[in-house]
Amino acid sequence: MNVSELTLLVLRLGFLLVLWLFIFGIVYALRSDLFGQRVRKQPKDGAPAVASAGLAAAFPSAVPVAAPVMQAAPAFVQPPAASAAAPTEQFSAQAAKDDLGPGDKATAQNATRLVITSGPKAGTEFPLTVDSVTIGRSADSSLVIRDDYTSTHHARLMLWNDKWMIQDLDSTNGTFLAGVRLAVPTPVPLNTTVKIGATSFELRR
Amino acid sequence: MSNARATDAPTRAPKSKPGSTRRLHLPQKMRNVELFLLIVACGINASAVVLVQLGALGHIDTTLVVLGAGLSGLVLCLHIVLRFVARDADPFILPIATLLNGIGIAMIYRIDIANGDAGWDSAAVRQTVWSGLAIACAITVMLVIRNHRVLFRYTYVSGFVAVVLLLLPLVPGLGREVSGARVWIGIGSFATFQPGEIAKIALAIFFAGYLVRNRDSLSMVGRRVLWMKFPRLRDLGPILVLWALSMSVIIFQRDLGTALLYFGLFLVMLYIATGRLSWVLLGMTLFIGGAIIASQTLDYVHGRFQNWLDALNPDVYNADGGSYQLVQGLFGLAKGGLLGTGLGQGRPEITPVPQSDYIIASLGEELGLAGLFAILALYLLFVARGIRIGFAGHDDFGKLLGVGLSFVVALQCFIVIGGVTRVIPLTGLTTPFLAAGGSSLVANWIIVALLLRLSDTIRNQPRLVV
Repeated sequence: MNVSELTLLVLRLGFLLVLWLFIFGIVYALRSDLFGQRVRKQPKDGAPAVASAGLAAAFPSAVPVAAPVMQAAPAFVQPPAASAAAPTEQFSAQAAKDDLGPGDKATAQNATRLVITSGPKAGTEFPLTVDSVTIGRSADSSLVIRDDYTSTHHARLMLWNDKWMIQDLDSTNGTFLAGVRLAVPTPVPLNTTVKIGATSFELRR
Repeated sequence: MSNARATDAPTRAPKSKPGSTRRLHLPQKMRNVELFLLIVACGINASAVVLVQLGALGHIDTTLVVLGAGLSGLVLCLHIVLRFVARDADPFILPIATLLNGIGIAMIYRIDIANGDAGWDSAAVRQTVWSGLAIACAITVMLVIRNHRVLFRYTYVSGFVAVVLLLLPLVPGLGREVSGARVWIGIGSFATFQPGEIAKIALAIFFAGYLVRNRDSLSMVGRRVLWMKFPRLRDLGPILVLWALSMSVIIFQRDLGTALLYFGLFLVMLYIATGRLSWVLLGMTLFIGGAIIASQTLDYVHGRFQNWLDALNPDVYNADGGSYQLVQGLFGLAKGGLLGTGLGQGRPEITPVPQSDYIIASLGEELGLAGLFAILALYLLFVARGIRIGFAGHDDFGKLLGVGLSFVVALQCFIVIGGVTRVIPLTGLTTPFLAAGGSSLVANWIIVALLLRLSDTIRNQPRLVV
């Protein structure tokens, strides 16, 4: 079997083409890594979220569906009574019960969870079992907040000498601790509101 | 674990009670992406072998089955292992490594045809067997190391291992000298191995652990000169030790490339750990100073420099150990042009050692600029994934390790490809994944396994999406 020059030419150009298609295929799957996360409108309660394609393949832990994730992930306990409509009374009651002034600094010993107090996922908890929590819009953050006000790498909570500190990572719209915009890494007191974009959270026992 | 699995399949996973042991069937999105890309990569590898046969032999024969199916079967094994032990690992690293390895095998096979080698003489068959061993090592690493933080405990052990591996070729009776460089060990007449390739992984682990423990003194204090903050004299210890180590590699093992690789790796990890440019400046001054002194005093380094600066001079070209190889490689690249002569239709065998050091020139001749850039793009994507994994890491050790491992691949590519294309003096290092050589394959596949493990651990952190 002898192959003609023309066939070889076509085959060799085809090979180069396939090689490049493979590369562009990978780049296409990675595009959200390269160009940043798409801003997503917060879905209404119960409405199915709009999936932004692409990233799922790259860093798919950023599954772009908000509500069902929370139901599926057993570690983030959503108190059954806490509907998005009325979470606040429950939490203020809890805070009163804990009998803690906002003066106590959160340490590795006394803070066990991060509780979202306002925003679309109010009432959700996040266990503080790690020594650093990154917050931002990017998919690789530990706490992903996707709204118009959050920067890609917005802020970071970290254990420093056993104390929980919050550091703003040069975000555009700032991080607010008890209403004051952060300039330097600051220790976070227990039960004090930290506000990032439209979401605020507290560290609790 | 269960978190991330559930996040992968948010819509299908039913609400499970905490503590229930019922296994859920969850689709593995990332592994499916990986499987698809792997099949494409294996297809490209097979078609590369077919094209080589059509171009060089004019017909298709059955060596293809061994070469193509061998590698494909092995990477699919690794893929299946990942489905069980690292479900959230990065889906792009494995296909990219597979494609590079497969293109390398096809090119080595093409040079075997030109040299008339077959059976066990054939470097392509040996390369396939080495790939098998390398992937087996990668699978072992995946199974043994379930969390990269375990490696943190063995910081100083791996530093010691690296030094021992570096010294092995100097042991009389065990060390081998190949084309001037004493970086090989061998028992009997075969089974030669370059322990320095494995040492680079041990060094990356050691640097990461060491810098996480000690970086405060290296990054906090110092004196400001102009716009840069320089470290105190007493903090220069580690960098001077590393400098002495790499200089002794140049002097005793006569290997410029390896020295540059280790020192560059240390500099980059130091820069990432401390965020100070002055370290890089200081280190580069030290290394370039050392290299210039070496080029004045050591014959072989001087020869390398001369081949690089004055390659087209007939005296240098015709000299023993002159620039003949380098210039032939350049001619090959020029012959390839934009689209190449086509696989199996060039004459890459004219260049000495076209299957190992000069595989880039061989590929450039037959695939052209377009193909060479595709290969560089594959390296770019591989390294970018590695650095991305490091960036996404939650612990400092993982961050440094991810960046260090991927940077070592990038630097090695730069040193080899830069040498072949006459950007820097040519030094003998292997092109990762492509070049014929078992030790390099084993080391690079272990790097693949470690990066996969890192990316899996990182994604298993508790996460919350608001």
